[in-house]
Amino acid sequence: MIKSYITRGFSSFVAYVFDVPSRLLAFLCLLLLLLLPLVIKGYTAHPYYLRILTGANILAIFAASWDLLVGRTGQISLGHALFYGVGAYTSLILATRYNLPPWVTIPFALLLGVLVALLIGLPCTRVKGPYLALVTMTFPLIMYTIVRSSLPKIFHGELGIRLPFKKALFPFLHIIQQRTAEYYLSLAILFISAVILYKVASSKTGIVFISILDDEVSSKACGINVTKYKLLSFAISGLFGTLAGCLQGYLIRIASPPMFLLTVSFIPIVVTYFGGMGTIYGPIVGTYVYAMLDNFFFDVYFPQLLKWGGIEASTVLGYLELLVFSLIVLIIVLKWPRGIARLVTDKLEDLAEARDLDERGPRIWKRYKTKGQ
Amino acid sequence: MLRELTLILVFGTISGGILSLLALGFTLIYGVSRILNLAHGSLYMIGAYMLYVFTSIFVPIFTSFLGSSFPNLDLVAAIFAALAAIGFTGGVGAILYIATIHPIIGDEIATMVSTVTSALIIQQIILIIFGSTFYPASIPIQGSSLILGVTVGNKALVALSASLILFGFVALFVNKSKIGKAMKALSQDREAAMLMGVNTTKLFLLAMAISAMLAATAGILEVTALTGTAAAWMWLHPLASSFAIVILGGLGSIKGSLIGSFIIAYSETVVKILVGGAITPVVPLVVMMVILLIRSKGLFGKRVEMED
Amino acid sequence: MHVLEVENLTKRFGGLTAVNNVSFFVDEGERVGIIGPNGAGKTTLFNMISGFIKPDSGKVIFRGEDITKLPPYEIVNKGIARTFQVVRPFRHLPVIANVMVALKSPRGCRKIEWLKTMERKAADLLEDVGLSELMLEPAENVGHGDLKRLEVARALATEPDLLMLDEPFGGLNPIETEFLTKSLLRMHLDEPTRSIIIVEHKLYALMKIVDRVIVLHQGEKIAEGKPEEIVKNKKVIEVYTGGVI
Repeated sequence: MIKSYITRGFSSFVAYVFDVPSRLLAFLCLLLLLLLPLVIKGYTAHPYYLRILTGANILAIFAASWDLLVGRTGQISLGHALFYGVGAYTSLILATRYNLPPWVTIPFALLLGVLVALLIGLPCTRVKGPYLALVTMTFPLIMYTIVRSSLPKIFHGELGIRLPFKKALFPFLHIIQQRTAEYYLSLAILFISAVILYKVASSKTGIVFISILDDEVSSKACGINVTKYKLLSFAISGLFGTLAGCLQGYLIRIASPPMFLLTVSFIPIVVTYFGGMGTIYGPIVGTYVYAMLDNFFFDVYFPQLLKWGGIEASTVLGYLELLVFSLIVLIIVLKWPRGIARLVTDKLEDLAEARDLDERGPRIWKRYKTKGQ
Repeated sequence: MLRELTLILVFGTISGGILSLLALGFTLIYGVSRILNLAHGSLYMIGAYMLYVFTSIFVPIFTSFLGSSFPNLDLVAAIFAALAAIGFTGGVGAILYIATIHPIIGDEIATMVSTVTSALIIQQIILIIFGSTFYPASIPIQGSSLILGVTVGNKALVALSASLILFGFVALFVNKSKIGKAMKALSQDREAAMLMGVNTTKLFLLAMAISAMLAATAGILEVTALTGTAAAWMWLHPLASSFAIVILGGLGSIKGSLIGSFIIAYSETVVKILVGGAITPVVPLVVMMVILLIRSKGLFGKRVEMED
Repeated sequence: MHVLEVENLTKRFGGLTAVNNVSFFVDEGERVGIIGPNGAGKTTLFNMISGFIKPDSGKVIFRGEDITKLPPYEIVNKGIARTFQVVRPFRHLPVIANVMVALKSPRGCRKIEWLKTMERKAADLLEDVGLSELMLEPAENVGHGDLKRLEVARALATEPDLLMLDEPFGGLNPIETEFLTKSLLRMHLDEPTRSIIIVEHKLYALMKIVDRVIVLHQGEKIAEGKPEEIVKNKKVIEVYTGGVI
């Protein structure tokens, strides 16, 4: 009898995935990510690369949370790094100074993150557009100065806080196994976060978020308490941003002042541009593109390309790397403002529409006929 | 105590004057085209570096033409270099607009991303060409004067006067000239201006060039009067200051950027003198936030009752 | 008790007095039209009643409650809904989702009948205004005439006691005008207690619907009365024709 439940569950799952082309694509990507460490042994099963992939998972959560706030609710935030730093520092301070276990530090950090989100939400909901963008930039900058130059006993200044090996989440494993476990843990949390964020964005609350993005005044005229929904968006976005920071603390095991810098705040922006604003899955795709570009392409292939061309100088190489990377980002932003992931999903939508057009065709024609009189 | 106050007054004023040019440029391009140019600080930096470059080029040329005993040769060469640097940066600004802003105009976030990426690209180019060492850049104005009991280099005084004069000139241009009025029209109601036959692209380009030249001038005056060196990371602080000033003064308001510059300059100077350097980067931001909480569009920003 | 009482509303914008000491009232089930040349202050008046602009002086009293200083969303939830002269749809959302936003408001939620889903109610509202076929179409692809009807559907979603329409016939072709007129008349029969205020330029459509007309000129109320009386009123004719006739 249990077997029939399993087979039924399995077949409905298969039906669900194959129903919409983009779901199938998402499922295939997930499969790819799951198999990555196993498939290419010796290459991706290397602890260094596993750590990079784990980092990519963490950044993907970070970027997806930003997309909810900015791509869906239209609140331009240039200060998302605030939550990243808060997550990392809170969890590590509690772990190292007060010796609290992760199942205490992480919920506490998340709660603090939400409180911070609501706190900054108060001034943020009052301002719009460029003012909002610039206001959001100030908070992480203030935190940067604070953790860098005050309360050295707690924040450890420039060096930041390191999580000792024995307090890590998988302390007693061999390094490859530890890194692999970290990768899968981060992937699992990424999956759960992505599903939650996506569900929120597609829910009726998500519809209200989009209404705020499109036309705040009109939304108010529909009876919506726009401030309340903006705060909600800040809170959810802050929650998952802080989660990313906590993962950074426990899986990469360091919390340092540069985590509050503009460079961190810009990663979700750039990455969401690669992937597609407002889609939630777009930033995740974009994060992987970014990670591939940044780490694999540049650290592995680019130096080799240069060697072929006979260019050696290593400091110039370092500068050139960021230059080329920025150029690529610039070109992508200029040519595809809607994002790369959109190219794929737009194509998929066209395919789906073509399939439906047979039945939609006559309907559209009828509508035009009656209007013409 | 009195000494501190006079120091604050004198240096705050100098700093404020120079910052006002920077802020004016930022608010001008925003007011006219609604673009937040995150590469504004980079244009400031290019101005300073180009001062060094053109000075190095012009000094030998002038020496061979005028003879090395020409009085104040350095100064003359430096002034021409400054003008050349300003013009060069204006050109860079125009190119920046055509290449990275015009294609995506209308998309606020995209322009922010493209301008900040351009800023990074510029930083890397500077690093590749000049490396990470500091370069001396300055207009050699000799001597110093005693102002209110404080010894101030004449460079600083000249910088202050130059910036205030230039500010006044540009403000007058925007308010009185035909082109300036067209720019004002664009900033108030773009569609109506377009219906009146205003060529938006040309005006955006012009505003961008003027904005770049203002930024470059601020950069040149700053290194002349206050710092004396150019470095590849010097675009971040001016950018943050531009934001803070323009926000608290009201985006698009000329009056606001003038008053805002002095508010920020004095606040920074106060903190620097009384407390010390580490916290100063935060000051403009905190001041800006406080003012925003009181007036959500800045002191003189457009206050619309029902948003469009 | 009047449903709506507007007392001495005044609004100045810099040197211009947009609305000058305007007072009027609306009773339950009444349909009132507001007319006047462009710039007479009609939309500003609307904005003040619906809470988007705060008056310099005067009061707005709705069902005995002073709502002058309330934020717009609260006023909607008290029972006043308005449309906009220039349509403001949610471009990225499909037509049905546009209506669902209004249904997500506290009042909208309350007014959903037991056992009906929000989607069902939204679909019904769209059917009432004749937009069923465009339900899933993104609002940015929809034509102007249909968007005007969407505005009305959205306003009706909260089942307001007072419905305020700002130039609902603007830009509609004769067929659409006819359809909307019939819809509004039918709505009056179905919901006799609902009051309506309509600002409109198309007098022939307006006069068929309203019981009473208020005429504004340069921010002041210059006439008030039944449609038949207003069209004969000398002052009104002068204001509209510039004193030529």
